[in-house]
Amino acid sequence: MTEVSVKQKKSFSQWLHSRQGQRAVIIFAFSIIPLLLLFVFTYLPFGEMVGFSFYKMKYAGKRVFVGLANYKAVFSRDDIVGALKLSLYYMVGSVVQIALALYLATILSLKVKGANAFKGVMFFPYLINGIAIGFIFKFFFTRGFVFDSVLQWCGFQLDNLPYWLKDQSVNNWSLVGTSVWRYFGQNMILFIGAIMSVDDTLYEAADIDGANKVQQFFHIILPSIRTIVTLNVILSITGALSAFEAPYVITGGANGTGTYFVVMNSIAHTSQKVGLASAMAVVLLLIIFACTILQKLFFKYVFRNADDEDGSREPKQRSGKKKLLGRN
Amino acid sequence: MKLKKVMALLMAGTMVLSMTACGGSKDEGGSGSDGAEASDLKYTDIVLGEDYTDLEETITFYNNRTDMAQDDYPGTTWADYVAEFNKVYPGITVKVDTDSAFADNSLLRLQGGDWGDIMFIPAVDKGDLSSYFLPYGSLEDMEKEIRCASDWAYDGVSYGVPCSVEAQGVLYNKAVFAAAGIEELPKTPEEFIADLKLIKEKTDAIPLYTNYAAQWTMGAWDAYLGGSATGDSAYANQVMIHTADPFSDPGDGTHAYNVYKILYDAVAEGLTEDDYSTTDWEGSKTMMNNGEIGTMVLGSWAFTQMQQAGEHPDDIGYMSFPISVNGKQYATAGGNYNYGINAESSETKQQAAMVFVKWMVEESGYAFNEGALSADIENNDLPATYADFGDVELVYNDPALEGEEDYLNMINADSELMVNAGGNTKVQAIVEHAANKDMSFDDIMADWNQSWKDGMEYNDIEAK
Repeated sequence: MTEVSVKQKKSFSQWLHSRQGQRAVIIFAFSIIPLLLLFVFTYLPFGEMVGFSFYKMKYAGKRVFVGLANYKAVFSRDDIVGALKLSLYYMVGSVVQIALALYLATILSLKVKGANAFKGVMFFPYLINGIAIGFIFKFFFTRGFVFDSVLQWCGFQLDNLPYWLKDQSVNNWSLVGTSVWRYFGQNMILFIGAIMSVDDTLYEAADIDGANKVQQFFHIILPSIRTIVTLNVILSITGALSAFEAPYVITGGANGTGTYFVVMNSIAHTSQKVGLASAMAVVLLLIIFACTILQKLFFKYVFRNADDEDGSREPKQRSGKKKLLGRN
Repeated sequence: MKLKKVMALLMAGTMVLSMTACGGSKDEGGSGSDGAEASDLKYTDIVLGEDYTDLEETITFYNNRTDMAQDDYPGTTWADYVAEFNKVYPGITVKVDTDSAFADNSLLRLQGGDWGDIMFIPAVDKGDLSSYFLPYGSLEDMEKEIRCASDWAYDGVSYGVPCSVEAQGVLYNKAVFAAAGIEELPKTPEEFIADLKLIKEKTDAIPLYTNYAAQWTMGAWDAYLGGSATGDSAYANQVMIHTADPFSDPGDGTHAYNVYKILYDAVAEGLTEDDYSTTDWEGSKTMMNNGEIGTMVLGSWAFTQMQQAGEHPDDIGYMSFPISVNGKQYATAGGNYNYGINAESSETKQQAAMVFVKWMVEESGYAFNEGALSADIENNDLPATYADFGDVELVYNDPALEGEEDYLNMINADSELMVNAGGNTKVQAIVEHAANKDMSFDDIMADWNQSWKDGMEYNDIEAK
């Protein structure tokens, strides 16, 4: 018995002193701190929050276990369901944003005069603080201020223009416009970076084959940067679901512009319904998971032909069998 | 060593003397013991100008009025007050420490303990008062001398004295009212709406500026549903929490229903600004001063700010909220920040601090200079702010009954109405529904009643 355990011990300390053991110790020692931080500041609070979502509670005071009542409330309260519907505005906005960014990125990566200046100008809004942008646009949309004046120069009559923030049929589009203005520059820069990594010889070959710019875009650029497009779409959709700054600063979420985050914030902090707000957060997380998975599937379908081509330009003629092989 | 002893003896001597001077108070125990018998110090026992005049001490007063620490402050500065104070109490040096982010920082510094000797009591829980602040005496005694003594009292002991007392009303522009031909101030909601219509007809001013976009300015409407709308000092903290339908129409032009109805009607009839979603709070002050706005519904603290915002300070007026109960107008009044004294300070510092507080309340004229009422019950000076409050009776909201202190918070949270507790959204919704005409006022109020009732039922609070 003792002999065995001594032997084991010895072998363990031997292992510890071996090259492999040393490597394991170092890996463990280096990763324990970030892992610990990640656990303490991300997973632990998240777990706590999931726990909170089953209680009726304030920040202080006693908690009452209510089971799934908070989750039921999330799907039955008009303000929360309405806020989820509002996300559709921002999702439409994010589609516009990505299309615009992709278009400008493509143009700017061709030989354009002053491309860098344009890049700088269009990326600039992303660098401004979100709160400051909120204040800028508050004045921008005020009746008779910047936006109305500009439209009047273009020949519009003030009387025919809507109230950009007051009129509930347009105010969400105004806010979506703000967020598109702010974020499309960032998407564009990411796209430009991806486009620059496309091999130049592909364009030359395409030119020789007589392909025009539009064909080049759809058959060379788009397939080559599909990863970054997918990433941007996922980021934009999550961003759409969690839109906060623009409505919070410009309208305070009033007048039918309260997005999910704004509503969650007021439920958690003004009404102090921490349990309900936690349930909202969990639901949002699940929705984002679902959206991400759906998008993955969608893009897999869209780029199914582009997956296995390495320089070859005839995706349409590939046989299904070969594709399967390529996958594996 | 010997010198120290002599000094200590001298100190003890002067203190014993000063104690006997204030009459019948127990022996303070000299310089030896500290803090243990500090509770003998009572606000009501101090006679200004007679007690502690020989006291030598340096105290620090921590507060939010950074503007009053500037030499170019148009009113009386802190330095002026301290200089005046030192004429009576030359031995007490008062250092004033101001903070522009007082509301947040004060709580942090309170935890740290090293904040000085007097501070404006920030938003702490009443149960914690005794661990931070020195009692001024029993609530019963204090109520005989100061107004709103119960604001910061706990278990029958008073821990705060209000620096000033303010009554709630409505800001208006005298020039606009004159131009519209309004000679008598409105006393009922109907008169008020009629006057707003007159302003719209005869002037270019915006009759009622909602300040919708600033949000917290909308929450200000809640302040009137107690004393101003009912004339009942018990309503806000004792009656409303036991009323199942506080937002119903009582039919006599009073109560919460008619407070909010003014806002709904004004918006529905186009008597407010053109685009409520882009109102600008800072800009509104200048507009008010210049006569571009007729009225604004805000607390009296806003009066001085409006006066200072332009070249027509004399045009700014403050009137009682246009609701009359049986033909008489009332105005909710409440204390501003309260002076609190550090429970951890040395005994002599506490003495000096209490003397200073009492002097500020009774002798300094601070409240009057700041356009507010004094907390001193014997001081009935009405500053210019309340020139139009002649017949108006001030109502001081009674505190909640024992054991019911949390009821309002509980109902507020569960109903999400957050009355007088940041419930800005619900008042904004009135403006939205009135402008879009998609919900009648009665429906909104029925909705609120339902939420309120649910909140009460959820917390097992009985309706009376």
